[in-house]
Amino acid sequence: MIRIENITKYHQGRPVLEDVSFTIAEGSNVGLIGPGGSGKSLLLKIVCGLVSPDGGKVFIDDVDVHSLTPQELADLRFRIGMLFQNYALFDFMNVGENIAFPLHQEGGFSDEEIDERVKQALIDISLPGIDHLFPNELSGGMKKRVSFARAVIRRPPILFYDDPTAGLDPVTSSKIFILLEKMKVEGGVTSVTISHDIQGIKSICDRFAMLEEGKLVFLGDHDEIEACEIPVVSKFWQGYSDDELEI
Amino acid sequence: MHRLVSRLQLPFSILGEKALKWANITGGLILLTWQIMLNLLPWNWNFDGPEIWRSMYRVGVQSFPIVVVTAVLVGAIMVIQSGLYIEQYQAHGLLGWGAGYAILREVGPILIGLMFSGRVGANNTAELGTMKVTDQIDALRALAIDPVAYLVMPRFLAMIVMMFLLVVVGNFTALIGGAVTSQVLLGVDMMLFYQSVVTYVLLDDLWHGLIKSVMFGFAIAVISCYFGLATRGGAVGVGRAVNASVVGSAIAIFAIDYFVAFGTL
Repeated sequence: MIRIENITKYHQGRPVLEDVSFTIAEGSNVGLIGPGGSGKSLLLKIVCGLVSPDGGKVFIDDVDVHSLTPQELADLRFRIGMLFQNYALFDFMNVGENIAFPLHQEGGFSDEEIDERVKQALIDISLPGIDHLFPNELSGGMKKRVSFARAVIRRPPILFYDDPTAGLDPVTSSKIFILLEKMKVEGGVTSVTISHDIQGIKSICDRFAMLEEGKLVFLGDHDEIEACEIPVVSKFWQGYSDDELEI
Repeated sequence: MHRLVSRLQLPFSILGEKALKWANITGGLILLTWQIMLNLLPWNWNFDGPEIWRSMYRVGVQSFPIVVVTAVLVGAIMVIQSGLYIEQYQAHGLLGWGAGYAILREVGPILIGLMFSGRVGANNTAELGTMKVTDQIDALRALAIDPVAYLVMPRFLAMIVMMFLLVVVGNFTALIGGAVTSQVLLGVDMMLFYQSVVTYVLLDDLWHGLIKSVMFGFAIAVISCYFGLATRGGAVGVGRAVNASVVGSAIAIFAIDYFVAFGTL
């Protein structure tokens, strides 16, 4: 279980996250939504210990993430997979090396075993035989899927997806959501998914948390968000705006 | 009244901002140096051998042509500049000493250091900076990998070793450039130039320059890695980081040179 308690973060004296608290039950997938710049990616980085909060705590299985020693944090990260918004593939490695990298670093795998797992991962993301290509030779959708393969290759029990379908065409987006659903159903992972694709995350998340200007404005399940009468939430969920557009 | 107070506060505000920025950079450099030192402790050794060799190739072997060209020109310039006085006083036997002393002790290490900083340091900062702004550094950390151990250490070791070796090669080629120039332009026999170098230039002069080259390599490595890892703000941020790295390295080279010269008076 992941417990986020009163997380606050300032940037140049201005709060970018204010007193954000919620929990993510084991095996569930929480959809983190909100307009751009509302602090979703930052919150995710705080949860996995990449950024320290100015206030509040994050507990993963009752362990305070930000009080861990570097070694303890490294051990915890072996249990976490993260898919970054802008892929974050290592551009000095080819696709095969990128996907195999977490296994090499963890150790305890033979070269044959690693090759086998990389091949299988590429088949799972419908990109077999591209292991020799470098990230700059891939399209956005391919990069996203390779990045996904790298995030899940260790089969971690906790996964964070930062906008897994940003900038992708609808077909590739649906492929990505199928992969996320597969991870949840087959792997039983606990996950947080940031996405602006409401239709997509509706299908894979159990609960939804919405951030607006750094504050948590909604937390609930699918039925609750559908029935939510908070204007900012219902507008975002239904994707409409009151602002008139002058043409 | 309020406007007057604001105006009076402005210089202090700017000064404070600059002071904080410098304190931040100094603190960051000290912290990175400390992390590098910790990684150098025998029980923390976890070096990726092939990656160190690759870094040495990129940093050293690929810098070889530019260093050789620079060094030959440095040797030639030293001889041309001193040629006038050598002719005036007919002190041909001192030409090798003059050029050799200046090259081995000062000009060789400094100019090669500046070339190294411009080529290798800038490239290093741009590489790490791009990795930073594209979340690759965070991705490493998310995979439980320490970016200092994985990215900085191979570059750090490669830069120190290769800076030393490039200065050795540079010194040698600069002396050859000087000897050839003295023969061709001043008509001073190359053997006389050679005799002058081996007779008057001390081993101490050679070591003085070589020790400085290690210190320059250290400074360029730490500064270029620091500004790379501290990059913010996309492509513009990478440009700013490279600029800061090259300027910082140049300042460090001259500061180290001053203190070493002062310390060995």
